[in-house]
Amino acid sequence: MNIHTYEKFWLIGAMVLIVAFIATVTYGAAGLGIAMVDDEGGTIAPDEIGDHDKFGDPGVHQVGENEYDVYVHAYTFGYSPDTIEIPENSEVTFYVTSSDVTHSFTVVGTNVNTMVIPGEIAEITAQFDEPEEYGILCNEYCGFGHHDMEAELHVVPETEFDLTELAVDAPDEVDTDDQAQVTASVTNGMLEDLDTTVTLEIGNETVEEDVTVAGDSSEDVTFAVDASTLGDGDHDWTVTVDDYTESDQLTVGTDDDGDSDDGDTTEEE
Amino acid sequence: MSSATEQTEADTSHEIGHDEYDPIGTLTLIGLYFVVLVLMWFYTYFIEFLGNDPTVIGSVVTAGGIV
Repeated sequence: MNIHTYEKFWLIGAMVLIVAFIATVTYGAAGLGIAMVDDEGGTIAPDEIGDHDKFGDPGVHQVGENEYDVYVHAYTFGYSPDTIEIPENSEVTFYVTSSDVTHSFTVVGTNVNTMVIPGEIAEITAQFDEPEEYGILCNEYCGFGHHDMEAELHVVPETEFDLTELAVDAPDEVDTDDQAQVTASVTNGMLEDLDTTVTLEIGNETVEEDVTVAGDSSEDVTFAVDASTLGDGDHDWTVTVDDYTESDQLTVGTDDDGDSDDGDTTEEE
Repeated sequence: MSSATEQTEADTSHEIGHDEYDPIGTLTLIGLYFVVLVLMWFYTYFIEFLGNDPTVIGSVVTAGGIV
């Protein structure tokens, strides 16, 4: 067969183009690590999401140095949690599932995007290098509230990121000759130990206690405050741990004694 | 009359060989088309796609890359 020289040019040119296109995609997959979303996340019963040990309490978990897992439950019409906070320079794996209809989990303006199918766990990993605020949207039409289905993803500087939680248990009322026990429960969700100070401000008093909370655990700090030093009346208290505060009011003594005794006993035990 | 016509045709047409045919315009058009394809591919993949960070990555490949 006699092929014209020019014809050879464009035949070879077309083949080179095809090889080049395939080569760029191969470079993306092998060199840059770009992956397709697949079914590796496994399956889950859509009506038992609440019983799952991670999806039951969706949110951010640290799994390694700069590695985080985020469990997200998509439903009509929202995401739980609705605000996800992760640190910069982290590799984040999102596990997303739906309890009702097909949704999507789309981090707007990025390539982080997956369909969320009830019964399936969508697993996607992405690297977040810079602090940034992203919106998360559903792009699979899921019903009349579809356009309101959104969440936020905040990538914050490493210094501003923690997984600390503060819960305070304190009585509402206490007798004048009694002590008020204020218990601050500090939970550290990070893998590293957390060295911090728990501060209780009550009336004009400020009490501080240093505490070290081991990784992935919690510590209770109990302050005993003599009601007599506070004096009768209402006293505002605030417990502060880093940027977290809890506050309420403590009543010392009461106008009618009956209430005070009952309230006290219940609260303290 | 007819002989005059035959004379003219014989003067104005002649056969050329296979490799003498020289469609340089077609070659230029196809070359231009290929250049446009390459530019579009470059824009779509490297600017639109890779520039749209972050991208879904495979943890296995990344782990391999880090090691």
